[in-house]
Amino acid sequence: MTDAAPFSPYRAPALYQPPAMPPIDQTEVRRYLGYGATPPDPATGALIGRCAAELEKEARPRALYAAFPLEGLDEPGAPLRLGGCELTLPGKDIAAHLQGCSAVVLLCATLSVQADSLIRRTQLHDMAAGLIMDSCATTWIEQLCDRTEDQAKPLFPGARFTTRFSPGYGDLPLSMQANFLSALDAPRKIGLCVTDSSILTPRKSVTALFGVTGTAPAQGRTGCAHCRMNGRCAFQRKGETCGLSHSVK
Amino acid sequence: MDFPTLLNKPFVLLDGAMGTMLQKAGLPLGATPELLNLTNPGQILAIHRAYIEAGADVIYANTFGANRHKLAGSGHTAAEVAAAGVAIARRAAEGTECLVALDIGPIGQLLEPVGSLAFEEAVSIFREQVEAGVRAGADLIVLETLTDLGEARAAVLAAKENSTLPVLCTMTFEENRRTFTGCGIPSMALTLEGLQVDALGINCSLGPDELPPLVDELRQWTGLPLVVKPNAGLPDPETGEYSVTPAAFAVSAAALAEKGVKILGGCCGTTPETIAAVKAALGRLYPPAPRKQPHIPAVCSATRTVPIDRARIIGERINPTGKKLFKAALLREDVDYILTQALQQTEAGADILDVNVGLPEIDEPAMMARCVKALQSVTDAPLQLDSSDPKALEAGLRLYHGRAIVNSVNGDEESLETVLPLVKKYGAAVVGLTLDKNGIPPRAEERFAIARRILDRALSFGIPKENVFIDCLTLTASAEQAAVRETLKALRMVKEELGLKTVLGVSNISFGLPNRELVNQTFLTLALAHGLDLPIINPNVAAMTGAVRAYHLLYNLDPNAQEFIAAYAGMIAAPAVQAAPIPPAVASPTTPAPQSPDDLAYAVENGLKADAARLTAALLETTDPMEVVDTLLIPALDRTGAAFEKGTLFLPQLIQAANAAQAAFDVIKAKLSTGDQPPVSKGTIVLATVKGDIHDIGKNIVKVLLENYGYTVIDLGRDVEHQAVVDAAIRHKADIVGLSALMTTTLKSMEKTIALLHENHVPAKIMVGGAVLTPDYAEKIGADYYSKDAKESVDIARRIIGK
Repeated sequence: MTDAAPFSPYRAPALYQPPAMPPIDQTEVRRYLGYGATPPDPATGALIGRCAAELEKEARPRALYAAFPLEGLDEPGAPLRLGGCELTLPGKDIAAHLQGCSAVVLLCATLSVQADSLIRRTQLHDMAAGLIMDSCATTWIEQLCDRTEDQAKPLFPGARFTTRFSPGYGDLPLSMQANFLSALDAPRKIGLCVTDSSILTPRKSVTALFGVTGTAPAQGRTGCAHCRMNGRCAFQRKGETCGLSHSVK
Repeated sequence: MDFPTLLNKPFVLLDGAMGTMLQKAGLPLGATPELLNLTNPGQILAIHRAYIEAGADVIYANTFGANRHKLAGSGHTAAEVAAAGVAIARRAAEGTECLVALDIGPIGQLLEPVGSLAFEEAVSIFREQVEAGVRAGADLIVLETLTDLGEARAAVLAAKENSTLPVLCTMTFEENRRTFTGCGIPSMALTLEGLQVDALGINCSLGPDELPPLVDELRQWTGLPLVVKPNAGLPDPETGEYSVTPAAFAVSAAALAEKGVKILGGCCGTTPETIAAVKAALGRLYPPAPRKQPHIPAVCSATRTVPIDRARIIGERINPTGKKLFKAALLREDVDYILTQALQQTEAGADILDVNVGLPEIDEPAMMARCVKALQSVTDAPLQLDSSDPKALEAGLRLYHGRAIVNSVNGDEESLETVLPLVKKYGAAVVGLTLDKNGIPPRAEERFAIARRILDRALSFGIPKENVFIDCLTLTASAEQAAVRETLKALRMVKEELGLKTVLGVSNISFGLPNRELVNQTFLTLALAHGLDLPIINPNVAAMTGAVRAYHLLYNLDPNAQEFIAAYAGMIAAPAVQAAPIPPAVASPTTPAPQSPDDLAYAVENGLKADAARLTAALLETTDPMEVVDTLLIPALDRTGAAFEKGTLFLPQLIQAANAAQAAFDVIKAKLSTGDQPPVSKGTIVLATVKGDIHDIGKNIVKVLLENYGYTVIDLGRDVEHQAVVDAAIRHKADIVGLSALMTTTLKSMEKTIALLHENHVPAKIMVGGAVLTPDYAEKIGADYYSKDAKESVDIARRIIGK
């Protein structure tokens, strides 16, 4: 434990229903669609606006987070453990990411079944609109995670934080999704579940965690080199990033 | 003591939280509390005893999550853990009058199609718990904290099919009176009452102070005993603690009891002190007045309830009869085509959708099941399941998460005995046709007599009167002109003398006549005036939906003409009544660009759907269809493809171009299906997102592009069984099988599907794609081609099949 841990250890999972979500970041949507710096043609631009408005109306964004003391950092070889919770965080990459941290905040977020249904309906009307709707949802769920993070951070006045890290990054296994969600009671609290193939359902959902530290966080581990998509990522091919690695703070 | 006897008490007191008590005692988050039944039964026993001492009439055994999904990897079976849980509760209740409930919560996975858990798998998971609980001596079964009406139905069916115990079912709602999955309170009430639960209500999620409006809504829709088990308030956002004190909780609980809630307890955050306080508060109340069954004629999906309190349009378009394109879609198992038909109709004004997928060449029960499942995921309109095959009806009813209409039964005893038990078991409504084995009687009085017979038989099966709708049958005016008035007369008699809701297929009336629309519209208006509630029509015909809107206006069923004005305001005096088209929620721009040249290639390249269709129709007057395809459409698509590869045009535009080409192809297909020429198909491609994977947007984009290059695509959907891919490839003589998988976890599933295709010597070439796939990996798992994006899949198809 670092001595500067400004932290009263355990916080029960808190439901976060954002009072007002920010509007969908349409610049980001355009980036997901591959436009980069090129502005879309006016018709497509207008379609992005309509999809965003529709999604903002239909989806019911919900998120949960909880903080846990981090244990086992000084026990090489053993997976990290979270106090008061049965979850472990196996793998070298997460250990490196959380180096120097005294606590971890788990968060999960979903845009709801209604968002899945809207994306499906839109695809049936028009595949182009369907693709755009899908990109709007991908953008918005990241914004929801940002909001949830902002909500959780004041629990630790004066602390510093690592970037978000999710199951499936590096060698942190996707197969931990089920336990991750159980630790937050997510199926019951926000209706977020996982399939036998470790796919989160509803589809537009995220699980992530970030570390809490009194010192400067170890930041080196969230770049493309540590991503499972490294070498086959469409953004990378174009010399761009997906947004996760540029969010390093 | 048994549950029916217990219900003679003015109020029934349930216990409070188990999980809260265990967490207070140090149970770690994410741990499985049901395992304590085996490892620390004494702790569970003590909690039960505390609740019994507090005055609970019923305790919930510690079996909420004792299902094989949640216990996977624990080394214990669901049966073992559930039986142990019930046994502990039995022991705690020994020597008291307290009843023991087998407690069943959600499985923890979402059902298809949102998740990948199949409905029958869910039933089977619940069955295992039910059987164990019954054997261990539970007095009743409680299904609680459910948020998906489909899962609640699976649980109720498992309980009803495998036990004779009373069943209580409570679902969890948010403040907007909906569950996470959007299920509304009326839908819950109609559906669960239809499945014959013994009591129903609300638990968890909200505190007792937030629940009165929900209870007010619930009691309007059901006469069953109401159950409420609230949380101790809303959790504090900072600490997650529940804050309502036992005394305050009891005051609120008593208020709920005064609203007609008979069965009360506590959920998260409540303790034996809470239950003791509630007991004291209930003891001070007068016994409640008995509640009456509301008998509301209504049908529902999980997310929308349609009361039949005025004319409700049943859309007739999901039906292959007389529709070549629909038949072709059914034969290639094109569920998306059917879904599109559904959306068009609801946008045009349909309240309910008739679903008929019967064709001699197909497996109707399987197709019905597939369509019912898929339709529920995109439309909230309740469904009318239309088939003469009882197996198809049951396949649909089993999967339909709402109160469906069964179309139909008739006055023949064999029909009544086959269909009515299904209607009863699944809580559906039913259409009774006024005919029997002697045919359709000519006179109204005779049809009325059959209607009465159908009603009597339905009542004898325990089907409530409000769930019986009568169809007095439309005969074609050109053939039996005198019969039209008999139909209308019978309709009025059924409506007025039997008090039943009426259905009528309208479109047949004009068969063989000129100006059919006029005849249909006039007949519809007459029938409405005679008391028709459920016209079965084509809602896409503006004159028909218009007649219903005008009828509502004129009969004062559309207060302040709001809906009428919303539909037609802005309409300038038109030559005939035309419904304002309701635009789809979101769609690509279809308005022609102002300076768009009259050039099909231009229309396609710029994604102008309406122009592409119009120009194609014009071209076909003078040009051979295949020439249009080969010299205009395909080159235009190629140019957009090339621009996409160069990076000067982006994916949305590529798809929009494909959509415009699709509109052109549709015109060509329609033209060809009226002639004798073979359909335009360059080859058959089976597409599937592999078993276990539900990310299908990439596959769907590939489908759009391939179709627009003239290939016949058999889209098996997502999460497709390995064997289903093999079967479809063989059945449709596929040239190519295309597989997609997005996750590292589902690549294995792709590999298995490919192995099975090889094992079965399927000659089709295999093309694969998906974000985490690489060319090397594709080769390693035995695929013939790796496709990096949708555009490349077309290139590959051309290489394999040729142009």
